[in-house]
Amino acid sequence: MKFIFNLTRREIRSSWQRLLFFFLCIALGVGSVVALRSLIQNLTQVVGNDARALMTADIEVGSTNDFSPTDIATIEEVIARFPIVEDRNEVITTLSMARPVDPANESLEFVELKGIEPPFPLVGSFAMSDGSPFDFKLLENRGAVLARVLLEELNVKVGDKIRIGEAEFEVRGTIDDEPGGSSGFRLGARVFVEKKAFDEAGITRNSSRVRRRILYRTSDNPTELVTELRAALKGSTVQIRSYREQQENLSAQFERTENYLSLTGLLILVLGGIGVWNVARAFVEQKRKTVAVLKCLGASGNKIITVYLLQILTLGAIGSLFGILLAQLGLWLAAWRFAEELPAQMSYTINPSTAVQGAVLGVLISLLFSALPLLQIRTIKPKLLLRDENNASISKLDWTKWLFGAGCLSALLGLAVWQAGSLRVGAFFLGGLAVTGAVLYAAATVLTILLRNLKRLNSFSFRQAVNSLYRPGNQTRIILLAVGLGAFVVITVQAMQSNLVREFDLTRNNRLPSLIFVDIQKSQIRDVASIIEGRTGEKPEEVPTVRARIAFINGQPIDYENREVRQQQGQIGREFAITYRQELEENESILSGEWWSSDGPADIPEVSVEERMASTLKVSPGDSITFDISGRKITALVANIRKIDVRNMRTAFVFVFRPGPLEAAPQSYAATVVNHIPATDRQRLQREVLDSFPNVQIFDVADILEAVNRLVSNFVIAISFVGSFVLLSGILILIGSVALTKSQRIYENAVLKTLGANRRSLATILVTEYGLLGLLSGLIATGFAVLLSFVVTTYLMDIEWQFDPLLAIGGLVITTLLVTVVGVAASFDVLFRKPLATLRSQ
Amino acid sequence: MITLSNVTKTVRSGSEILTILDDVSFKIPDGEFVAVTGASGSGKSTLLGLIAGLDAPSSGQIWLDDDEITAMSEDGLARLRSEKIGFIFQSFHLIPSLTAFENVLIPMEILGLPGVRDRAARLIEAVDLTNRGHHYPAELSGGEQQRVAIARAFANSPKILLADEPTGNLDTKNGQHIFDLMKDLHHRHNVTLLLVTHDAALAAQAQRQIVLADGRVVSDESRESGESGESLIA
Repeated sequence: MKFIFNLTRREIRSSWQRLLFFFLCIALGVGSVVALRSLIQNLTQVVGNDARALMTADIEVGSTNDFSPTDIATIEEVIARFPIVEDRNEVITTLSMARPVDPANESLEFVELKGIEPPFPLVGSFAMSDGSPFDFKLLENRGAVLARVLLEELNVKVGDKIRIGEAEFEVRGTIDDEPGGSSGFRLGARVFVEKKAFDEAGITRNSSRVRRRILYRTSDNPTELVTELRAALKGSTVQIRSYREQQENLSAQFERTENYLSLTGLLILVLGGIGVWNVARAFVEQKRKTVAVLKCLGASGNKIITVYLLQILTLGAIGSLFGILLAQLGLWLAAWRFAEELPAQMSYTINPSTAVQGAVLGVLISLLFSALPLLQIRTIKPKLLLRDENNASISKLDWTKWLFGAGCLSALLGLAVWQAGSLRVGAFFLGGLAVTGAVLYAAATVLTILLRNLKRLNSFSFRQAVNSLYRPGNQTRIILLAVGLGAFVVITVQAMQSNLVREFDLTRNNRLPSLIFVDIQKSQIRDVASIIEGRTGEKPEEVPTVRARIAFINGQPIDYENREVRQQQGQIGREFAITYRQELEENESILSGEWWSSDGPADIPEVSVEERMASTLKVSPGDSITFDISGRKITALVANIRKIDVRNMRTAFVFVFRPGPLEAAPQSYAATVVNHIPATDRQRLQREVLDSFPNVQIFDVADILEAVNRLVSNFVIAISFVGSFVLLSGILILIGSVALTKSQRIYENAVLKTLGANRRSLATILVTEYGLLGLLSGLIATGFAVLLSFVVTTYLMDIEWQFDPLLAIGGLVITTLLVTVVGVAASFDVLFRKPLATLRSQ
Repeated sequence: MITLSNVTKTVRSGSEILTILDDVSFKIPDGEFVAVTGASGSGKSTLLGLIAGLDAPSSGQIWLDDDEITAMSEDGLARLRSEKIGFIFQSFHLIPSLTAFENVLIPMEILGLPGVRDRAARLIEAVDLTNRGHHYPAELSGGEQQRVAIARAFANSPKILLADEPTGNLDTKNGQHIFDLMKDLHHRHNVTLLLVTHDAALAAQAQRQIVLADGRVVSDESRESGESGESLIA
């Protein structure tokens, strides 16, 4: 044992520099795993894995409609039977426009309005900007508390008045955080008002975008109460949620996210593993003589393998610890870059248990990927000291090696399953990785074979450079695979972003409307249209809308007992805005059934259903849907199923009736403006409409798209961030490979110099070699990135794909330059070695 | 006693089978100094490698005392080398990642001997390298490297010392110094010394000379020799 420990210590002392890349590969991988997992864990902690805090209650009874007196009576009757209910309140939320009362201030903002009543919150608390506790008095008599960001956006201060709907509110304070947190995707900033005032503001009168909730706090497990409520409210559109069920869903969701992110980390770690394998392979090759000497001096093969295994284990452990440091650095970097997008109270320190997990992963990956190369030590015979010949018996099938290989693969699968938290996902991960690796490797092989033909060229330097890519023990394909994979991830993400951004770019996409006005009364439509026309010069498209709820499908009430159906309750049970028209819109197409002709019978109501809703409701042409329109039931025959091209959307109606039956029903109008007008003009138009018709709701599509773009761009930055780590792993493998083949290069250069090659031609060889390597990596990365972005945008995102030549050329050039610079920089000193010393030492 | 009985070694070179040693048999009693000579490619180094168990013969048997090494496993051979054999190579074969001192330590550590540092220090001193012990092989001259190799070969007090052209890479002065060292050790410790050499002058100083040609023993003569020198290693 003493021999093993002593030799391990001495070997580390002398070889650590050569194994530096081994160390860095592991550090980078472990760093990625720990950083990504910690990030999502910290996010989970602050966003709230705590569903009770998110819900601000134990039970929520919610509806997108007004609660009917029958519903209220039923709910109260059940609640009365359960003494565990401690308290209750009601909240109401909707989207609306807020604008300063001051006519000189033309600001206008989309807000998420929440009407509350005491005691609020039942669970959780406000974080007021000035640090004072929240007092409900702030909201009394038309007071409003705003998210701090709104002060700046609306250009108002505490004490100023703002107008929402028909009512005026005085800004009484601002909040930094609200009960339940303020994270998640939102279209507008939060405004709190009194529930009473909310109703009085006239916002709810004609809007279908209102959600009412009754919240309860209970002193004990509310499961039984929830069951009773669901049974009592069977058949209604009222949804009951308990924090316990939400908790389970949330936990599962966060766990999934965490596991998927960990797999991304594992991908980087596996790439690091490939680096380790590469280093270990070359290391064993370099240590052949030492192993032979040790065997000659009487050390057994197992003892020697133990020495190098211990060495790998030590370096893997140190690399893992360094990786944990890197993870902390990464988190600080994330804090610096994404702090604005991430919750304010989020912690940016790594979790001890995650760090331990990362270290274990790092050591295991080190062992798994170096085991096979180290096994090669067994085949090194001491006789090579007498006659240096390749004494590995290549032709013989080495069962131990195959068994070990299978063992390593199983262990790797185990790690993937552990990290993914699922056998299926873990297996898919490994399978996907193997397929991607195999495809990239095959591409690298084809390209290098093609390159071989260039050896016929006249240039000496070029021929030598190509030769270098084929030198014995070359790492060409491994480098192409690793660097190519990293660059591929980065370029793919960029390519998809450019397609996504173009899709949502209003200035370039003329098929999207710029403004949508809804809830316009029949008596107001003419005036609203003329204001719009006056401001934009465009006659808006006016669309009649009728509010309706689904009552029956084929004469049967919707079965909310069914869990699947209940999950879609919000989607099916809500109030729909439906319209009627004679013609199919340009962006619509019929999937099944037939669109109505203009001369056919109109006495039977017919309806066209959007394809996704049709599949949710499980209806097809010939079925019937009964709608409840202001208490009146209308049964319509499903005439056809319609597909809407959302990219071309002006309005998207789920249900479209054949003209006739709905014309007499109470209706409002929607109007859309297609012309793209400057932001200030849009704002003025909105203000003008709202000043005269405060009940009208306006959606500024540009604002919404901006929010979406912000979200997309953050995702892209985050993915690119991870992608650049993959690329960095590739670069490390490149540097490692350069270092490992350096002695060979030094020797070749010494021979070439002796034969008369000057430094300039040697430099040309070097630059050409890495230039070619970079070019091939770039070709592989760009080629596959273009292909994948095409497949994903066309078939998964269903948006138009456009080849971006700038991105493709940019990706190619940058990858080539990166590999050239790194490769040349890592081997530049070779050019300055004196040949005599090199040749004498051989 | 080293015993070779009908030892043949063949290797495959492409489609051809080359015979390196052809039916070689001889005995070397304990404590004898034998020089093996012959032209390049006559099989001298292979013979030495087979005796050390670095390779296995294609046919025939080799015994070291009562142990038939041709029937031993890799690990068994390693153990045997560790306990009984010291080896000196033409190109030294020191471990480049270890200092001179550590190179000498290694065989004793493999055997798990106690008090190895003192003995290593004495061995280093005996080969006149006291001030060079902390240097790495790359920092030593050829002669110095070979002296380290000799100290290493004697570290475990072997019964047999096998030397494969130990002076082949050295100038005359250094070569003679190395030879003197080996001879001294042979005398002082009654070690069997088997020396492969091209140098007729060196071979002439051996008690017995075996000449190989095309893998066969063509001459095996004993003569009286016996210069004794000052003891270098205690």
